[in-house]
Amino acid sequence: MSKYGTLETEIKEQKYLIAALAEMGYHPEVHPDGAPLIGYEGHERPERAHIIVRRRELDSASNDIGFAKTADGRYAAQLSEYDQAIGFDQKWLNRIRQLYKEKQTIAAAKSKGCVFKGREVVKTEQGERIQLRFAVR
Amino acid sequence: MSQKTITITIDESGNSSIDLDGFADNSCSWVFEDFRGGDKIRTERKKNSFYSSKQTEDQVRAGH
Repeated sequence: MSKYGTLETEIKEQKYLIAALAEMGYHPEVHPDGAPLIGYEGHERPERAHIIVRRRELDSASNDIGFAKTADGRYAAQLSEYDQAIGFDQKWLNRIRQLYKEKQTIAAAKSKGCVFKGREVVKTEQGERIQLRFAVR
Repeated sequence: MSQKTITITIDESGNSSIDLDGFADNSCSWVFEDFRGGDKIRTERKKNSFYSSKQTEDQVRAGH
């Protein structure tokens, strides 16, 4: 049978989150037990996260950005209001989700022996839409 | 037999759609699961080709 479905991406796999952040040029730190985020003044903030992009890789007045693993296995982004206001906003997070999903999809295709048939990027007003095609042997 | 193809479209917000074509059996269920990757399903439907292939099977069984 043939099938069509729409999905809501949930960031649950650490390796694809790290790969997505790396593709965006960051060097995320991994803290299995969680670590505090550091604020723009260099002080520890109350928030803790398992994946952290340090503020030195962001803006000069940025706070760290963290991704904390929640009880249901998802990674939740922790962003200060300041950082959201200067561009580390929902659109920035959406780009991470997009790269995460692309990397997860390519890994799934590879593990199942699918043949890569092409990648197409369509630019829209909201950003980019990525289409990946595979054939099943 | 038509080629089995998988098309994944990842939209601007990072959500995706899975389009499976050419599958004449239930293998598309596990393919769908493999590519879902734990994501929440928003919508899911069988496509016309499923019904036409099932109709053909039914016709064969009925001796048409």
